[in-house]
Amino acid sequence: MKFSFSLIKKLAPGKYTKSELVEKFNLHLFETVDLGGDALEIVVSPNRFSDAASHLGIAMETAAIFGTKLSDPNSGELKFNSKSPGVFRVNIQDKKLSRRYLAGYVSEVKIASSPIWLKEILETCGLRSINNVVDIMNYVMLKTGQPMHAFDADKVSGGIVVRKAKKGEKIDTIDNQTFSLDKEMLVIADAKKNLAIAGIKGGKNSEIDSNTKRILVESANFDSASIYDTSKKLGLRTDASVRFSHNLSPELAELGIKTALDLLQKFAGGKIHPYIDVYPKKQSKKLLRLDIDKMASLIGKDLKEKEVVNLLSQLGFSAKGGFASGGKKQGKNIEVPALRTDINDSEDLAEEVARLIGYNNLIAKPPAVALGFAAEEELILLKDRIRNFLAGAGFSEVYNYSLISKEDLALGPVKIFGSGDGVLLANPMSRQLAVLRDSLSPGLLKNLKDNLRFFEEVRIFEIGNVFSQSKTGTDEKTLLGIALASKNAVLELKGLLDILLEKLGLVDYFLPDLNYDNKLLKTGESLRIETGDHKVLGYMGSVHGVKGAILELDLGKLLKLVDEEKEYEPLSKFPSVMRDISILADNQIRVGEILAMIQRISLKLVEDVDLIDWYQDEKLGDNKKSLTFRIVFRAEDRTLTDQEVDREMAAINQILINKFDVELR
Amino acid sequence: MLNSANCIAVSLPGMLEDLKKLKTEAQKFLKEVKDSKELENLRVKYLGRKGELNKFFDVLKSLSLEEKRKFAPPLQKLKKELEEILDKKISELSQSLKSSGGLDITMPGKKMSMGHLHPLTIVEKEIREIFKAMNFSVVEGPEVESEYYNFDALNIPKSHPARDMWDTFWLRSNQKQLTIDNKQITSGKRSNVKGQMLLRTHTSPVQIRYMEQHKPPFQIIVPGRVFRFEATDASHEINFYQVEGLMVGKDVNLANFKFVIQEFFQRLFKKNLKIRLRPSYFPFVEPGLEVDVQCIRCEGTGRLDGPVKSASQITGLTQKGLPRGGEAPFRGCNLCKESGWLEVMGAGMVHPRVFESAGYNPKDLQGFAFGLGLERIAMIKYNIPDIRLFYSGDLRFIRQF
Repeated sequence: MKFSFSLIKKLAPGKYTKSELVEKFNLHLFETVDLGGDALEIVVSPNRFSDAASHLGIAMETAAIFGTKLSDPNSGELKFNSKSPGVFRVNIQDKKLSRRYLAGYVSEVKIASSPIWLKEILETCGLRSINNVVDIMNYVMLKTGQPMHAFDADKVSGGIVVRKAKKGEKIDTIDNQTFSLDKEMLVIADAKKNLAIAGIKGGKNSEIDSNTKRILVESANFDSASIYDTSKKLGLRTDASVRFSHNLSPELAELGIKTALDLLQKFAGGKIHPYIDVYPKKQSKKLLRLDIDKMASLIGKDLKEKEVVNLLSQLGFSAKGGFASGGKKQGKNIEVPALRTDINDSEDLAEEVARLIGYNNLIAKPPAVALGFAAEEELILLKDRIRNFLAGAGFSEVYNYSLISKEDLALGPVKIFGSGDGVLLANPMSRQLAVLRDSLSPGLLKNLKDNLRFFEEVRIFEIGNVFSQSKTGTDEKTLLGIALASKNAVLELKGLLDILLEKLGLVDYFLPDLNYDNKLLKTGESLRIETGDHKVLGYMGSVHGVKGAILELDLGKLLKLVDEEKEYEPLSKFPSVMRDISILADNQIRVGEILAMIQRISLKLVEDVDLIDWYQDEKLGDNKKSLTFRIVFRAEDRTLTDQEVDREMAAINQILINKFDVELR
Repeated sequence: MLNSANCIAVSLPGMLEDLKKLKTEAQKFLKEVKDSKELENLRVKYLGRKGELNKFFDVLKSLSLEEKRKFAPPLQKLKKELEEILDKKISELSQSLKSSGGLDITMPGKKMSMGHLHPLTIVEKEIREIFKAMNFSVVEGPEVESEYYNFDALNIPKSHPARDMWDTFWLRSNQKQLTIDNKQITSGKRSNVKGQMLLRTHTSPVQIRYMEQHKPPFQIIVPGRVFRFEATDASHEINFYQVEGLMVGKDVNLANFKFVIQEFFQRLFKKNLKIRLRPSYFPFVEPGLEVDVQCIRCEGTGRLDGPVKSASQITGLTQKGLPRGGEAPFRGCNLCKESGWLEVMGAGMVHPRVFESAGYNPKDLQGFAFGLGLERIAMIKYNIPDIRLFYSGDLRFIRQF
């Protein structure tokens, strides 16, 4: 909000310079920037519009901060030109939404251009000069914080009515727009027609023009939420609507009308009449108990009652009498100035005191707390372990957006992780970012493609939350996604998965064919990651579009399965025997089945089976592949003899030939 | 060493004597040499451009023809002898290298492939470690939140302009249901409120969620992803990370906050930096503060050392291009925009309405809360100019950390 330094200085005279004011305001009041010239940008906080979104309010703060006095030359009593308030009446129909309405009748107004000093202040504060009457309305708002409006009294029939709009009611505003109103919106009207959208904008039909002779000045107070909602619904934001939305005190309205009438008398040649004041429910006085001990305890600094009362009095607070506290000590009550709608608790008083003293004058003190165990949630620790493992294994971490396009929904086999229904935004920013991601795969796939422009191989992972719509609400899951592009991507990924799960202590899992709908993975090259008791943890497989593979795992489910307990197993006393077997098999036969079969044939003696070599070649014949397995035999209780191992090998050979029709090489 | 040869005798017999000494000494040293580095040192010493032998050649130039005839042959002979010994020694030494396996150790090492953690992960981890060392626990919360937790419970009522401080992504209104973790929802008395769902605009809802489940005293930090309905540019993103902090106890106060946060920033930036507290406003704290930390680049001076290189670097000038206040032009610090301070955190004492929302009695409790932007910290720490790099997935960026 823009302010005029010269007006502040006029209202709070003192020896300070503009740059001193800027510095002190930043440390004791609001963020303030020198805009050059006479202008200041002061960021008035949303809770302080009632008292401080005005030059008077800022001047009061200035006086408190610099230890000077407020001085308002125009605060004398009004001398009315008439004893009668004029012929107008005010009828508030909705007393809840219209908290106060003051109307002042001014006759014999001479519309002219404003004096230079007024024009300059308006310009500094970013407003355009129109004519003396309109400018005075705006100046009163800048000075007091109270939005004002002036109607051409000759265009108003009968009295003022404050009511809710009728269904289908329309209004043409002074800036030549037309708005359709609804029944929740408050309007200012006369007996025949509407005159203004209450607290937001005036109507065209009652506008001040160069022929205006008599005016009706409005200084009112409206329910802040109602103005906020109406302004939002209409998409119409004005200085007045912004201020009213911030819960101004109804007490401010009287200051507004007095200031306006005084200026109209002086600078628009007007004859002023006593104003009408309809104030259905007067704002009550607010008293807060001053508990010095509590205040000192909150701030962390010793305070004296006298010091505190002094500081507060500079901001218009006054100390009243005493109260009995604990039957012994006498404490004081603090009366809150009427405009301070932001002060409701003793904490609010503490803030006033602390900021005037200056937060930088507080001495840092270590907190005294009982020693407790500082813990990290288990999922956080699991994420850490996985990140460290993957970085060690050569994978780099990426972060992608949580929002994706509708087209990218259900790219991966998302039914593994939720309902499969996407979660849509009500107010998306763009088509690309319209839906919450249901899988990390759209981001990872894009990362693979992007990075392949710069690198021959890409190894990445991401840990992030994905979303789906369930019957009870939005389902949120934390996933690990790993993606890589390399020559043997999918097998590398499978090897990585094995060692990752082993490291996490998950041994009972298997990898059957995927069998979940998706557009991401190549059929026949994709697997489910499933526990021994058939919980599906995730998937992995080769992807379309890139020579690469992607894996996703549900970390929430994984968390329940990981087992960090390790137990030492005695080293075997007996040696192992290793035998290789090479076979020529039909392409259709899958290695996984052969491995499982070998293990099953010789359950007791086979310690490990591994595929150590495989290739396909024209020389081998159509649809054939050569496979070499290494089998490790070991007995727990004796050294195996060659004959024993030969017997086992013969049995294995025979069954492989019978079952899979392979050729030994 | 060979002091005698440093000063060559002027008489011919003396010179021949010196040459003899040099020969004996050089042969002895060359015989004893063990590695190629030592050998090279000896080569420079005797046969180098400014070596011992060349000193004799220099003297030779000034001798009479008669003397040259007598002195030159033994000198030439010695030079040849020494060169021969040197060559032999070189091949001997390289032989011994080959016989030790033939590896050329000057070949580059085998490339190891190590992955890189995302810079935000690294900074978050550092922050967690510092707070854990001060006895703070680490918790997280959901990214999809209810209007209640994100706003109402934090004293940000509906139809209040304060809500405009957070530009919000809302979920489609048919998704107006409870969040999925019914356990948390039903345990808090006030929290079984249905409301429109949204993407949390800050990590502060976790304050309420945590307080509903735990009794003070406690201190926690909450790292997490948050969302803002904002046009993206070099310093704004639609999603980013915050770290929320909350400490609650019987007499936790503002001076305690100052202590904790000063410790934190000094450890994070590993410098003895000052912090500055300014008044600010957040509806869920009272008093509300903004925390500035002294600029880590210019150490609070607003100026950088080093000469002014181009006109665009000169910032200590008035609009007419004249030095300000008679000062010499200086290089302004672009990180803090010459202010000497970096705005890094919003904070304050927990508002009594927030304690009430969580079912606490505000009369018995005090606490402080704070929130910082992880990207901002990482950008300051690593001098990263554009927030969008964090979400680019570009390994050329990530591999730098």
